[in-house]
Amino acid sequence: MTQPNPWRTAAKIAWRETRASSGRFLFVILAVAAGVGALTGVRGFSRAFHTMLQRDARGFMAADLTIRTFQLPTTEQTAVMDRLATRGIRRTQITETLTMASPGEGSTPLLISVKAVDPDAYPFYGTVQLRPPLAFRSALQPDAVVVSDGVLLRLNAKVGDSIRIGGQPFRIAAEVTNEPDRMTGSLNVGPRVMMSRAGLERTGLIVPGSRAAERFLFKLPVAVPIAGVRQELKNAFREGLIADYTEAHPLIEQGLRQSTTFLSLVSLVALVIAALGVATAIQAHLQQKMDSIAVMKCLGAKSSQVLRIYVIQTVGLGLAGSAIGIAVGSLVQMVFPLFLERYFHISSMPRFDAVSALQGLMVGVLTVLLFTVPPLLGVRHIRPALIFRREMAAPEQTFRQWWSRAAGSLVSSVVILAFVGALAAWLSDNATTGRYFALAIAGAMLTLAAVAWLLLRGLRIFSRHLPRSAGPVVRQGIANLYRPGNHAGAAVMALGVGVMFTVTIWIVQRGLLQDIIRTAPPGMPNVYLLDVTASNRQAVFDLVSGQAGVEGKPEMLGAVSATMQSIDGVTLNREKLLGFARRYARTVSVATAPEKPPFTEVLSGQWWAAGEAPKVPQLSVAESVAKLLKIKVGTEIVWTTPQRSFTSVVVAIHKSESVRLTARIEFFFTPGALDGLPAIYYGGVRAKPADVPALQKILYEKFPTVTVVNMAEVLDTIQSIVDQISLVVRFISFFSILAGVVILASSVAGTRFRRIREVVILKTLGATRQRIARIFSIEFLVIGAVAGLMGGLLAGGFAWLVLNRLLRANAPPDVMPMLVAVAGTAALAVVTGWAASYRTLGQKPLEILRDE
Amino acid sequence: MSTAIIVTDVIPHTLDSRKPETHISNPIIQIKRLTRIIATPTHRVDILRGIDLEIPRGQFVAIMGPSGSGKSTLLGLLAGLDNATDGQILLDDVDITRLSEDAMAEVRGRKIGFVFQSFQLIPTLTAEENVLLPAELAGAGPEVTGRARELLTRVGLADRLDHYPVQLSGGEQQRVALARAFITRPPILFADEPTGNLDGKTGQQVLELLLELNRLEGATLVLVTHDPALAAHADRVITLRDGLVVTDQMNTDQMNGPR
Repeated sequence: MTQPNPWRTAAKIAWRETRASSGRFLFVILAVAAGVGALTGVRGFSRAFHTMLQRDARGFMAADLTIRTFQLPTTEQTAVMDRLATRGIRRTQITETLTMASPGEGSTPLLISVKAVDPDAYPFYGTVQLRPPLAFRSALQPDAVVVSDGVLLRLNAKVGDSIRIGGQPFRIAAEVTNEPDRMTGSLNVGPRVMMSRAGLERTGLIVPGSRAAERFLFKLPVAVPIAGVRQELKNAFREGLIADYTEAHPLIEQGLRQSTTFLSLVSLVALVIAALGVATAIQAHLQQKMDSIAVMKCLGAKSSQVLRIYVIQTVGLGLAGSAIGIAVGSLVQMVFPLFLERYFHISSMPRFDAVSALQGLMVGVLTVLLFTVPPLLGVRHIRPALIFRREMAAPEQTFRQWWSRAAGSLVSSVVILAFVGALAAWLSDNATTGRYFALAIAGAMLTLAAVAWLLLRGLRIFSRHLPRSAGPVVRQGIANLYRPGNHAGAAVMALGVGVMFTVTIWIVQRGLLQDIIRTAPPGMPNVYLLDVTASNRQAVFDLVSGQAGVEGKPEMLGAVSATMQSIDGVTLNREKLLGFARRYARTVSVATAPEKPPFTEVLSGQWWAAGEAPKVPQLSVAESVAKLLKIKVGTEIVWTTPQRSFTSVVVAIHKSESVRLTARIEFFFTPGALDGLPAIYYGGVRAKPADVPALQKILYEKFPTVTVVNMAEVLDTIQSIVDQISLVVRFISFFSILAGVVILASSVAGTRFRRIREVVILKTLGATRQRIARIFSIEFLVIGAVAGLMGGLLAGGFAWLVLNRLLRANAPPDVMPMLVAVAGTAALAVVTGWAASYRTLGQKPLEILRDE
Repeated sequence: MSTAIIVTDVIPHTLDSRKPETHISNPIIQIKRLTRIIATPTHRVDILRGIDLEIPRGQFVAIMGPSGSGKSTLLGLLAGLDNATDGQILLDDVDITRLSEDAMAEVRGRKIGFVFQSFQLIPTLTAEENVLLPAELAGAGPEVTGRARELLTRVGLADRLDHYPVQLSGGEQQRVALARAFITRPPILFADEPTGNLDGKTGQQVLELLLELNRLEGATLVLVTHDPALAAHADRVITLRDGLVVTDQMNTDQMNGPR
């Protein structure tokens, strides 16, 4: 007899087994598919997006190389750029700023972000697409603008209409449908208006100190290496942000990396839940198979042979689930661009990514296999004597046997945890994240398991003390939860994790927005005025003060742009500063204050007395900056401005209420210190919401270059961004709920035979279908409600931690999402439970009883 | 197919008062001072209290006794399904009380066939796959399929190869179990109340098949039963009570009969 490969024999038997009980495994496969689908979708999209960024990098920047600065270039800097031009390097300038636009007299102006370009040069790569399809160059005449659909919508205007910007009329030549470097631009708060540089001149918006970003785009001849040019520009523009197409865009890449990591971890949660479900299902399956396994052992099967059969079966399930997951993943991958199309023109992106598919397959199979190790190893302990149990007592378990089993479970738990941690570390490219993830998963699971156990146990005690009047339906429904092999605890846990995740995100999102609105103290400005010139300052102040609905006097603050050259004799070197501190190597806004501004607290040192004007200017520094740059009272700081340099001494460290206008200035000087330097004024005023449009209108008519920001509009923008982000997160975390639902369904389906027997016996004893349906419904309802309650409560706790500790928002507990979680999960559980068991109701008693 | 043994009525049988030979040359099963005690902190149950037996190759032995007499425990110990407290069991000169679980599984695969009271077919496998299973576990290749079909034909289930156990009647399931027991040509066959779950007529048919197959295959058959009519077909009847052999007698009718 030829000896066939033992794996082949095992595979043959495993396949026969699976074929006959394929229905039972459907749910397991689906749960794995949900987890793997989320994971491959996220990673596949990320990789595809990255590839697209690389491929279309020049298009996304509209150039080979860009510099962004918040100041106009100095003559030396211009000279450097002119020298580059002699080597055939082309350049074009873009100015971006915020201002107001209005369709005509008497209408409410709109905050817009202006981008002024030279249509003869811009863009070097990619195209600006217009509707109607005009040539960009011919559309952008000095008296014309092209605008995004947001402008048309908000101003109720159409192509061909005229709008006023900076007091000058502009004709809307077309609507912009694709702006290649939209994401790499700056100041993208309001809807986009593009104009020519000549047009920008007409508006008079740009004066020294205006809030504008300058971008220079360069196009290099093929023969000129990019690194050298980059270095030359870097030497010339110490403060500029330089980027070249080889890094596509560092900010986008970084954002992509971070969101991929985050979403991968969220997907991993879904996969872990799925794997738990698989472990539960396999355990239930093996429990039902105990007799068969004992028979096989009687027929000469070794433990290793039996183990091989079920390992192959598990791997097969993992493979099937992962394969479906990959298909789901490519659907997820197609959905992602929908979230982004507002910001990106997503051109042809690969639909299927083989690498992430392969990763998903491996992660899916490995996770499933590892989580099923404990129940699989249990196969070894099934004794063939089981089928003789009529007369044969189970052999006594010695302490050593007990210990070897307990140690086995402990070891496999640790291995599983280590694996999950390693997986998280790999997905996030960070060992610490992996460690925290594994610990968090273990903590969350233990907490959930403990809470589920307590709740279910409490319910059991409660049901025993139920009065007779509660009726047998309720009693029996609750008793069903404790049916052998029901895994109510596992189903509750799995569903609970999903609910916890989704609800946490929901509460955090609501909490953040409410915090922004609520923490605004009474009298806080709700209208901000930007770019008020020194000459207009008094007139604007008087105009606003006299307006109807304005409460109190407007706050006005003059700011000067200055750069710190050295701190205590040490030159500030951008390269040597870390993280956030780097921004202080660039130009910052500074102001003078004759006395301590209101809502400001001095933390150390002493604020100067009113009217004091010392020879060596003194200053007070905001606490946050002082910490970053290690500034103390007595520190000497040297400042430079385009006009002059000066030395100053720190006399105080202060802290301002964050919502006040003064909080925007981190350096306050004694009076006279900034004399002769060009200042731009900011204003803030509190007005009745109904009077804000009138205030905007009158300001716009009298001072068209002053930008008026209505906080209500800003809040809308923030809300839409937060909504967008949380939509993506919820979309992915929805997969963990899906995995939970599938596990509930699988647990219900796993007890199908017991249910059928119960239905049959109840029917024989005279129970109607409706009554049986009610009993089952109560069971499902309790599972869902307990999972919802638990998930909701834990979500409340987590969200509170995130909001109050991590984000330092001050959000009170939010009850509404928890109530929705309980009701929603209960409903979901009833639907799922019935979907998995409705067929049992129709069973005819005789067929079942005859088989007994 | 002809049935060699036709047992339509219970023939009053006579038992040979002689003890079987005490020293059989080359017995296939040897049991020496076999004891099985179950002890818990509060109870101690002596299930088998020092049994000595020798069973020669090819003999058909019926083990009888009331409930709790220890007959199923004895069968379980013989098949290595449980551990003896003391004593020795030699199957083909191999002391199975010293074997590891896996080595014992191998012995079962090579030397022992089983017929259970409640059939114990794997519900997820078809009739043919159930019959093939022991051979496949022992490493047989595809050539064994022919023998499985032949055995199933012999038990009258040629047209039920692809049926699952739930699609078969009790008698049919036990016939599949018979075919399965013989697939590896085991030298020893253990049967635990093989007709206990069947009605009289079906039980009779199954018994006839079992005996016929056993005659053709020439295995040593150890059968546990309550039923004196069934035991009447055996070469030798051993009766247990309270964990001890109380009678061990040769069945003269069978000795002179068709066997």
